[in-house]
Amino acid sequence: MSIQQRLTPSLLIERGSLLVGFVLFAVFLLSPAYFVFKGSFENISVSLVASDGGWTLDNYLKVFSSGYLKYVVNSLVVCVTATVLGCTIALFAAYGLSRFRFRGRSLVFGSILGGQFFPWIILVNPIFILFARGGLINSHIGLILCYTAFITPFTIYLLVGYLTTVPRSLDEAAIVDGASRFTVIRLIILPVIWPGMVAAATFGFLQCWSEYLLALALITDDSMKTIPLGLYQYFGDVQIDWGAVMAGSVVATLPTLLLFLPLQKKLVAGLTSGAVK
Amino acid sequence: MRLSPGARERLTIFWMLFPTFLVIVGFYIYPTLYNLELSFTDITLLKLRKGGDWVGLANYWEFLRSSSFFDIALNTVFWLTAVSVTCRMILGLLFALLLNASFLKRMKLSTLARLILLVPWATPPVVAVIAWRWMFDPTHGAINSWLLSTGLISDPIAFVSNLSTVWPAINTIIVWNTTPLVAISLLAALQTVPQELNEAASIDGATKFQEFRFITLPYLIPTLSVLTLMSVIWTFNNFVYVWLATGAGPGTFTNVLATEVYLKAFVDLRIGYSAAIGVTMAVVMALFGALYFRLFGVGDMQEKVG
Repeated sequence: MSIQQRLTPSLLIERGSLLVGFVLFAVFLLSPAYFVFKGSFENISVSLVASDGGWTLDNYLKVFSSGYLKYVVNSLVVCVTATVLGCTIALFAAYGLSRFRFRGRSLVFGSILGGQFFPWIILVNPIFILFARGGLINSHIGLILCYTAFITPFTIYLLVGYLTTVPRSLDEAAIVDGASRFTVIRLIILPVIWPGMVAAATFGFLQCWSEYLLALALITDDSMKTIPLGLYQYFGDVQIDWGAVMAGSVVATLPTLLLFLPLQKKLVAGLTSGAVK
Repeated sequence: MRLSPGARERLTIFWMLFPTFLVIVGFYIYPTLYNLELSFTDITLLKLRKGGDWVGLANYWEFLRSSSFFDIALNTVFWLTAVSVTCRMILGLLFALLLNASFLKRMKLSTLARLILLVPWATPPVVAVIAWRWMFDPTHGAINSWLLSTGLISDPIAFVSNLSTVWPAINTIIVWNTTPLVAISLLAALQTVPQELNEAASIDGATKFQEFRFITLPYLIPTLSVLTLMSVIWTFNNFVYVWLATGAGPGTFTNVLATEVYLKAFVDLRIGYSAAIGVTMAVVMALFGALYFRLFGVGDMQEKVG
C-alpha cells in the first residue's frame, strides 16, 4: 500500500467513514469526563433551572470544608501501605517462582492465576465475621490487609513475566561470589526490573484506590472512610449535591489519570503480555 | 547449625513464598471454606458471637425456590453479563480495528487515541457511575438537554429510574468503563498480524471483509477467548456498577446476584442465607469456566496464560 494512491471516490468514502468513526469514538469516551470536569466548576442549582452559569471554585471549597480531605488522606494511607506490602510480598514470591523448580510450584502458580478470577463478593461475609470477631471493623489495618491480599496475585503474575526476561546467569554469578539470595534480589534484580515494579505498583495502587465493596462492608465510621465511600455519600440523600459530587470526582480521578499517563505504554505492554502471551 | 546447600536452598524458597502462602490461605482459601460452612447455618449479624445453628441445605432450597430467584438470575446472566460482555467485545474490536487503520495511523491519530482510551480506563468505577448519572440526569444532564434541543423528545427521560431504559443505562456505564482494556489488548494482538498476508490477499482480490474474516480474525481468537472468559467471570460477580447506579432498584428491578448477597447479609442481616447465594455463584462460575475450557481447548489456554 506504500505506492501513491489516487483519491478514488471509494477511497474518499473509506477515509471519511474512518474519520467519522474516530470522532464518535472520541466523543463517547471523553464526553462523560468532560461534563464532570466542566460541572465541577459550575454553579449548579438544586432547583429545576439547568444551570446558573458562571465559573466558580465554590464546589471545591465546599467539598474540602465538609471533610473530603480526610477521605483523601485515608485513601492514601490505606492504598500506599497496601501497595508497598503487596509489592514486597509479590517480589519475593515472583523471584522464587521464576528461579526455582520445586514440588507444588504449579499448584502455587495455579492458585495465583485463580486469585485473579476470584469473586470478592463471596469473601465479604466470611471476612466481615472474622474481622468483627478480631476487632478489625472500622480499622485501616483490616482494610490494608484485605487490599494487600487483593492485589498480591496479579502483582506476582506481572512480576513473574518481567523476571523471566532477566537472565539467570546474572544472579548465579553473584551467588558464586558469595552473595545471598536476598542480597541478589535487593542489589541486582530490583534495579533491573524496577520499571516492571513501578508498573505493577501503579496498577495495584489504582485497584485499591477505586475499591468500593470491601470498604463499604468493613468501614462505617465516617472518619475512617476512603474516597469511594466518601464520594458516594453525597449521593445518599434525597437531593444530590451535584456540584460537590463533581468536584469530589475530579479530585478522586486526577491522581489515577496522572499516574496512568507516563506508564501507559509500559502498562499496556505488561498487561497484554500478561493476559495473552 | 550448619545446613547443606540443598537444605539452605529449600529454606530460602520457603521464606520467599511463605508470605504469599499466608495471603492465599488466609484471604482466599480459608474464607472460602468458612463461607461454605456459614451457608449451612442460620447465622445472622445479630447472633454473630454465638454463631448459627446447622440447617443443612435449607438456605439453598429457600433461595432456589424464592419468588425473586428467576428475576435475579435473568438479570445477572442476561442483562448484566451477556449484554455487557457482548457489547464490550464488539465495541472493543471495532475500536481496535479503527485505531489500527493505516490511514488514521498516518494522520498520527493513534497516540491521541491511546490517550483517549486512558480516560475511561483510569476512571474509578465509582466516578464512572457518577459521571454517567450526571449525563443521564433529567434536569441537568447533557443527554437530555441534547435530545430536547434536537426535538427528538419533548419531555426529559429519567434514564436510571425508567424501567425500559435502566438496563441499557447500566450497560452503557459498564461498557464505557471497561471497553478500553479490551480495545488495547486487541490492538496489541492486531499488531501481530503479518502485513504481507493482508497485502497478498488484497492483490488476490479479497474483499475487506474476507481479509478480516480469514486473516485478521484467526490471529485475534486467542486474545478474544481469554478476554471473554475474564470479562464474563468478572462481570457476573460484579457488585459496584448496579449497586451505585440504581441500588438494585427501582424497587428490586435491577437486582443481581452480587447485590442480593450484599442486601441479604447487610440489610436483612442473614449472613448464612447470603453465604449460600455466594456459594451458588461460585459453583455456577466454576461450571462455566470448565465448560469454556472444554469448548475452547485447555492446553491452548494454559499456554496463553502460563
